[in-house]
Amino acid sequence: MAKIFERDIQQLLRLQRELSFDYVSDGQMTMAWQDAFTPFTSYFDGIKRGPLVRWFNTNTFFYAPVVIGDIHAPGDAIRRSLTPYLFGDSLSTKVVVPDPLTFAELAENEHYGTKEKLMYAYADALREELVDLGRHRVSYVQFSAPSLVARFRGRRLTPKELETVGEAVRSSLRKSGLNSGYFPYFGDLSPYFPELFDLPVDDIGIDFTETDVRRIPSSKKGLVAGVVNGRSAYLEPVELIVRRLKDIPHLDRYQRINLTSSCDLRYVPRPVADSKLVRLKEVRDILLGKGA
Amino acid sequence: MRAKPFPTQEIGSMPKFSWRTKPFMKIRLGREDIESAVKWGKKIGLDNREMNELLQILKKDSGFTEGEKKRIVEFSLLYALRMQETAGREGSEKEERGLDLVWSGEQARTEMYQTPVSHIDGFEFIGRVRSFDNKYWRIASVVRPLKYAHNYHIEEFLFTKKHAKRRLKIPVTDPITIMAWSDNSYYVRRWEEKKMSGRAKKITPSKMNFYARRDFVFDLATVIRRVVRELADAGAEEIQMDIPAATQYQEVEDVKLVVEAFNETTKGINTNFSVHSCYPPRYGYGLLFPYILEMKNCKRFSFEYANRDLSGTGVSKESRPGYSDLRLFREYGYKGELGVGVIHVHTDELPSLETVRDRILYSAKVTDMAPEKLYINPDCGLRTRSPELAYSMLGMVVEGARLARSSLR
Repeated sequence: MAKIFERDIQQLLRLQRELSFDYVSDGQMTMAWQDAFTPFTSYFDGIKRGPLVRWFNTNTFFYAPVVIGDIHAPGDAIRRSLTPYLFGDSLSTKVVVPDPLTFAELAENEHYGTKEKLMYAYADALREELVDLGRHRVSYVQFSAPSLVARFRGRRLTPKELETVGEAVRSSLRKSGLNSGYFPYFGDLSPYFPELFDLPVDDIGIDFTETDVRRIPSSKKGLVAGVVNGRSAYLEPVELIVRRLKDIPHLDRYQRINLTSSCDLRYVPRPVADSKLVRLKEVRDILLGKGA
Repeated sequence: MRAKPFPTQEIGSMPKFSWRTKPFMKIRLGREDIESAVKWGKKIGLDNREMNELLQILKKDSGFTEGEKKRIVEFSLLYALRMQETAGREGSEKEERGLDLVWSGEQARTEMYQTPVSHIDGFEFIGRVRSFDNKYWRIASVVRPLKYAHNYHIEEFLFTKKHAKRRLKIPVTDPITIMAWSDNSYYVRRWEEKKMSGRAKKITPSKMNFYARRDFVFDLATVIRRVVRELADAGAEEIQMDIPAATQYQEVEDVKLVVEAFNETTKGINTNFSVHSCYPPRYGYGLLFPYILEMKNCKRFSFEYANRDLSGTGVSKESRPGYSDLRLFREYGYKGELGVGVIHVHTDELPSLETVRDRILYSAKVTDMAPEKLYINPDCGLRTRSPELAYSMLGMVVEGARLARSSLR
């Protein structure tokens, strides 16, 4: 089993290198990272593995973290859960972790009195891990934040609540030296414009297969553009993806634009996911004038 | 005769014996497979004639003909039925053992998704996707307009009906679940092309994705309605619509679509319908209310609860957090029946009988419902457990319900 996992991860890393991706990740495909929370439920003090729960509107599931005491991070839990091959060359390495809001909303909080306290406790513990990753040549952390949009009956966070999330994110990044992105997916982000761009991260990720882009604000941050549908095997033609990008107002004002899928690619079979990565490269080539 | 308090039911699949699966994987049967057939045959009271016929086939050990494989499947249907009809404390009276409402536990099906999509014209399998741990499902994609090909459950139903000694139901996977577990690229592409051509220019991306889901669901409902109607015509007195994906989408319009799909699939069909769902996202079944009460033909909602419950005894709100959503049925004035999952099926650990009893008693308390209307079942299908464990879990349902009945007295 371990060999199969290793082979799959090696293939993924090789593909990303061949496609000259700016950031390379192991896709959380190691045995130690079975769902979004495994490193936290396996290695953190104060958190145990709870019941099996559906992961948003997918047919995938996770074991809910149950917070039973003060959360303490060992400081190397995330690094230990990544494939060692990720650190093997000079490419920029990206790690994806649940954002404080998603953690606090999906965890069973039996210890901290409020969701806000739990968010900050998680952020403080996460900081230990991010500092460690920064020391080990990881260059980018992406906060995976589906809880911001995929919400019970679509009830949005208030600007004040969003500000609190931002403070927790800021706290987790302190002293890490990592570049960062905040990527909510599985829903339309437009109700959070323009406040979303005030979050204390370098880049904001947007799922353009769900988001109404007409109200997207101009910003000096970077844009992580989720332009390839991660929920469907439909391999969008290059021209459709280019059109999606061109529909985004003020595109030239963002500091940088990273092309990516609208969410993780774990919801489609692996060969389909690989084709989508190749499609991203084709789109980039077209945009840079290198393509056919 | 007065109805029985806390009647019991099986809710989903049963594990398959190795002698059922190996012939289809072209693996030679060994002595242990035959011994298992004999051991379980005795345990569940298979008669000698049936046992001899099965052993005669299995002793061939490989190279089974299509006719022999068909009989092997039929025997596995029979084993699943008899396991359900005999589960409970050994040595107790025959009529005290077994579930009240049974079926043949998916023995004739690959599983609840793969079987229907293999038999509805228009699907093609495109690969595997991980669901959790190392459990994967084969995902299918629609490649052309969906069409009814044949009734993929009728043979199984007719055989089971002939042999069941208890009241029988038959589960059918609903359109929402098939849509949610399939790749919807056919419908997404259709809408993307509409948008590209300018015909759907003003529709937002999230709305477009919803329309793609809706189109898919209604195409499926047309096919599945025919399957369901034929089952009812063949004598199915209860059809359980399996909708594990009922809670998959959070928006109100999607929940309404779950209801529309059920009503569309069951409309004009004269039989009893129930609904099974399980494993909702973090915020539970509250998402479905009050909309699911518009499922006009549904006489019973059977949901999973034990997975999220504590293992200790007690009938207080604090002791039974997994069952808190049941209050919603009372709050919204629901008057029909309920099915309550009292055994967590994704673990090999068994709860104590007293815990099962208390889960049942708390369910009655929190719903304020007559015990006769409260069915007791495992949370979900037992296909991932061993036959021994599945039988024990069914036994706990039977014995837990009996204990709860005694507490009423």
